[in-house]
Amino acid sequence: MTIIIDGRKIRARAGDTILEAARKTGIEIPSMCSLNVRNSQVPCGLCVVEVKGRDGLLRACDTVTEEGMTVITRSEAIAAYRKKQLSNMARDHFGDCKAPCNLTCPGQINVQGYIAHVAKGEYEEALRLVMERNPFPFSVGRVCPRFCETRCRRILVDEPVSINHLKRFVADWCMSRKINLRISKAPASGKKVAVVGGGPSGLTAAWFLARKGHEVTVFEAEDKLGGMLRYGLPEYKIPRDVLDYEIKTIIRMGISVRLNQRWGRDFDLVDLQNQGHDAILLTIGSPAADNIDVPGSANPGVISAIDCLREINTGKARNYGSSVAIFGGNNMAMETARSLLRQGVDEVTVIYPRSVTEMPANQRNIHEAEKEGVQFLTAASPVQISQVEDGLEVELIRMRLGEPDARGTRHPEAVPGSSNIIHVDTVIHSLGQSAFADRPEGNLEGELEITPKNNIKANPRTSLTNIPGIYAAGDSTSGPRSVIQAVVSARRAAENIHLQLDDTAVKVPENRFNFTRGRSFDDVALTNFEGIKVKLREKMPERAPEIAAQDFDEVRLGFTEKMARREAERCLSCGCNAYGRCDFKRECIDNGVDPNKTGQPKAPLYSRDYSHPAIVVDLNKCVFCQRCFNACEYDGLEIKAGSRADNGRPRDISFRFTDKCVSCGKCVDHCSTGALSKKEAIVPVVNEEIRDVRSTCPYCGAGCQIILKVKNNTIMEITADPDQAPNFGALCVKGRFGFNFVQQPDRLTTPLIRRGGQLVEASWDEALDEVARRFFDLKAMYGPDSIAGFSCARCTNEENFLMQKFMRTAIGTNNIDHCARL
Amino acid sequence: MASLAISFGSGAMTNSIADIKDCEVIFMIGSNADTGHPTIGLRLHQACDRGAKLIVVDPRQTAFARRADHWLSINPGTDVALLNAMCQVIIEEGIYDKKFVAERTEDFDDLKKTVKKYSPEYAGQITGIAADEIRAVARLYASPGKNSAIFYGMGLAHHATGTDNVKCVANLAMLCGKMGKAGCGVNPLRGQNNVQGACDMGALFNTLPGYAGLVSEETFARYEKMWGVKLPRRPGKAATEVWDAIHDGAIRGIYIMGEDPVLADPNAGHAVEAIDKLDFLLVQDIFLTDTAKMADVVLPAACYAEKDGTFTASERRVQRVRKAVEPPGEAKPDWEIFCNLADKMGYHMHYDSAEDIFNEVASLLPQYNGISYERIETEGLQWPVPDANHPGTPVLHVGKFVRGRGLFITEDYTQPVELPDEEYPFILTTGREVAHYNFGSMTRKTAALEEICPEARAEINPVDAERMAVNDGDWLELTSRRGQVRVRARLTDNSQEGTVFVPYHFAEVPVNMLTLNALDRLSRSPQYKICAVKLNNLGVLTVNDKET
Repeated sequence: MTIIIDGRKIRARAGDTILEAARKTGIEIPSMCSLNVRNSQVPCGLCVVEVKGRDGLLRACDTVTEEGMTVITRSEAIAAYRKKQLSNMARDHFGDCKAPCNLTCPGQINVQGYIAHVAKGEYEEALRLVMERNPFPFSVGRVCPRFCETRCRRILVDEPVSINHLKRFVADWCMSRKINLRISKAPASGKKVAVVGGGPSGLTAAWFLARKGHEVTVFEAEDKLGGMLRYGLPEYKIPRDVLDYEIKTIIRMGISVRLNQRWGRDFDLVDLQNQGHDAILLTIGSPAADNIDVPGSANPGVISAIDCLREINTGKARNYGSSVAIFGGNNMAMETARSLLRQGVDEVTVIYPRSVTEMPANQRNIHEAEKEGVQFLTAASPVQISQVEDGLEVELIRMRLGEPDARGTRHPEAVPGSSNIIHVDTVIHSLGQSAFADRPEGNLEGELEITPKNNIKANPRTSLTNIPGIYAAGDSTSGPRSVIQAVVSARRAAENIHLQLDDTAVKVPENRFNFTRGRSFDDVALTNFEGIKVKLREKMPERAPEIAAQDFDEVRLGFTEKMARREAERCLSCGCNAYGRCDFKRECIDNGVDPNKTGQPKAPLYSRDYSHPAIVVDLNKCVFCQRCFNACEYDGLEIKAGSRADNGRPRDISFRFTDKCVSCGKCVDHCSTGALSKKEAIVPVVNEEIRDVRSTCPYCGAGCQIILKVKNNTIMEITADPDQAPNFGALCVKGRFGFNFVQQPDRLTTPLIRRGGQLVEASWDEALDEVARRFFDLKAMYGPDSIAGFSCARCTNEENFLMQKFMRTAIGTNNIDHCARL
Repeated sequence: MASLAISFGSGAMTNSIADIKDCEVIFMIGSNADTGHPTIGLRLHQACDRGAKLIVVDPRQTAFARRADHWLSINPGTDVALLNAMCQVIIEEGIYDKKFVAERTEDFDDLKKTVKKYSPEYAGQITGIAADEIRAVARLYASPGKNSAIFYGMGLAHHATGTDNVKCVANLAMLCGKMGKAGCGVNPLRGQNNVQGACDMGALFNTLPGYAGLVSEETFARYEKMWGVKLPRRPGKAATEVWDAIHDGAIRGIYIMGEDPVLADPNAGHAVEAIDKLDFLLVQDIFLTDTAKMADVVLPAACYAEKDGTFTASERRVQRVRKAVEPPGEAKPDWEIFCNLADKMGYHMHYDSAEDIFNEVASLLPQYNGISYERIETEGLQWPVPDANHPGTPVLHVGKFVRGRGLFITEDYTQPVELPDEEYPFILTTGREVAHYNFGSMTRKTAALEEICPEARAEINPVDAERMAVNDGDWLELTSRRGQVRVRARLTDNSQEGTVFVPYHFAEVPVNMLTLNALDRLSRSPQYKICAVKLNNLGVLTVNDKET
């Protein structure tokens, strides 16, 4: 018969519902519950349509087609009804879509994901996941201010997960094993990009642009790459061999580097344009120290922190004497202070007009400096520096907090007549930095718009400066920030540049849709954590401060593998493991339903059930679509609603696996939310690319067709296509769950040859030479029939064919058989 | 497989998995599809749910046995007697398909003669099954006009008389005309993903690829022209014969791909001794198996998820395998290793890809002539596919057997090679658990599978257990004439009195130390399913006791 859907004539089979007829012709009618022509006892209602000649809205899933029927799937009434249905469901749906750590990270790194990889021992994949958004895992893993840890829900149980140490662990683990991460790269685009400045932001942008296939050249003013990571951060924080390895990994993506090329001296912007660069990115960082506004600061014994650190970090330290005063309370001041102790300065005093807790430096850094012996003189401000015979005299004045200003901020003010004088050999000032003291010379440079603070003005959304085709990112646009913030800024710039260079690229809108168990800690019900035992975080092994302060070796020693695994297991896995496949989320977004507006539950009604060997049940997320039940071919589960709410929604849901359950896992693959999840699939897929690889199950002879869900180089899970012969979506417990062996650490990774009774590692050439020699010898002495081959019924046809071919041709025997009968 | 090829002209599963929905009578013998082939088991259960009648021949009380219309708890190793008796009943009662027998088979008189003495009463004494029950199932299977299908697994084939069993199954199907139609046929369920393919590809001692045999000079000429080398005519040795040949000094070097005979071979102790005697052992595998540990050279191979290729399923369906991830370290796909090694040996074997190899296979094998990667991109094809437009063959032997007429080959019942006696009073049978596969190297790395089935349990009947004062969970020592293993007991009606079942997935319970390396005289398949053992109750053991 023929029916008309949205003005399109389609053929329908007698007895088909509107939904079936539409699905068969590829017309999308949303539905969350319909499966195998069955739907929920409480239908989702999303499939409502209008049918000409009938009143009201009809569910497409249970309206049978009739000849000539005219169906409309989109109208205001339909949209409103769908929205109402979804809003009702949202009010019953409790959980976190994304974990707070992920939401808090400026880099939006899938934190829960890499922790889960660590918990599974998949360190390479953990590192790749980090590097999808941050190519500086070694450095960030050592110096990040750890925004994520401040929002870790584990705080409500005991202590936050030591997230950043895990990032460093996976980076170090891969470095110590020299693992080639084999990160993919797009084919060459033919476009050229110049990046000015080879610090964290420049190299980040270069890395992401190179991955997109663009030809990137980094112009670096110094003789080495790394920027602030090399010249601003001391070796006890980031050892140079680690930094060199990290930068080498980035450069290996295929980035050209030109060292000792200073903007304004060796080239200008027009030169770069003339060299054929389609885009230019300025990432020069904040190398210029702000001026110090104290009389006597021109004395030769007064230097900026950035210059001091550069001297020390390049091995050009001068004699700073035995006592040093440092003005400023930022991170750079702390690093300078600690570096000076290591240079043999006896007394290092940090001078700051407010209290220690008000210093802009990370409190962790302040604490470490204090432990190593740095002294703090707070509520004091310099007013005069004078050269005296044996050093410098600094006149200080006491400060106190004044009356609140219009915004309520209390600024420090001098206490009249409270001055005193200290005697030091060197004064260091760390009062802030900017992109440049003087604008670089050049033809276009004069047009470049600069902020009042001497940074480059760039649109935060597009990363563009006022000159078309010239972008800026990182500290050079913002002043000094954390490394991860530089990385994020540069990554965004790289995305914007890519959008300019590639017409086909589409900007992925940032999606803020999120269910949450509570935005702030106060909102999170403690009943969420019932049954979770206190397990304190692993303590980072560190050198004792009095010993550490004697040299520039790294202070923090890093987690051992066991510590990392234990720490990763502390993760509460707040974010939903179904994030990447959730139909409910997709429908909410498509239909404009925002849980923040519709309301969402505040506390769990059900406790999670871990009793099934392979599946976790969290009914707090269940929207009662009953697809689990309708998918099961074994009568392996029951799901019921004990009562109904006033709006008709199910309440008091009960779920259990029956003794007929064979653990095939099909129910999980059909769950429309994260109510059912696979115990081992603990890595949420947030925005990462997942490949579907169709293949054949490696177990019995049934030949079931499987889909391997692959992220980078890791099989995340295995599912099956319900429309594919011969198994039509059915798999057994082995087929769906038994793939861990593929990436076991005990896999053979290199040829082995027996030498002196032991199997030792060998190259392919050595091993094959040895095999060929031994086979030749046997053939020569005893004939080809003295050699036999066992082929394998688990290997492919191609391999079985080649093995028998090898035996019959290269060896010359029919002694070939396989285990078919074993 | 070997005997079906003689009876029908092709040794493969005659019908398709999709056919199961058309079955009206299902005759399962020596197969527990729930554990061995779960997704096929599902379709069989669904057919029964829809009203198909079910006959199960199995000494063990499987889930299928429990729901069967007729469960024949047969004495292990007596299948020939049962099958002959069924033929005898069907012939005597004249309910066989006379038209089919006349038009499509040969040597019917042989069958008639041989089965004559197998009255249900006589067979009943051998098999332990009541004569009336044998008559009932014979009539049910033969039901004229109904679709009756036979499914069998390694429970039928893994015997010293395995090919006899299979011939008798073929006889039964031909006699009743249950061939060449959807919902009928003789359907061996292959234990491993690519048993069918390995056979198709000629990884066999007695045939070139495509079952071309080692006899036709015409075939040899074709291969020799393509491969540019003179091929050996001398028949080879079967894998199971190799161990004796090593002991005799005839075989001195072995190349093993993906096999672990130290764990897998019957009478595994015998294989270990043989390997010790070898001049050279090369093992190519994904793990350092017990066999690899004894090798002179070990080559690291890629697993199924790390390479391209094809598998051929039980139902002759050729399907794609696709690379999903990179192999670890320097591991390579087996096919690349063969090419590199052949080069070193001075035989040039170059292929650009797995597809390149497949194209050569398709050009040589008549069954695969019409198959290409392009054609099986989305859905596999069932061979034979004689040309590029052929849609594949869901049902074999439609209208005509591959060999022309179906051949009745008759066999008499012979006793299993080893039966229980006073010293070794129990029959040991081995098999699978649903959550595990072969020797566990693949499945035992997944927590869920380990939780479902964490350890081997010897299943014994509660009556035997009571007699020997064995409690559930007690440790047993199982001893055969060849070896000894320790394993905990599970008391269950699944095992009939006098038999003990042990799964073979667990390296810590190497049950093949006990099994018998008696071989079938045609296929050289071993008798895994029966050997005689004695049980010693060790009671409750602590960890320390276990290690001593």
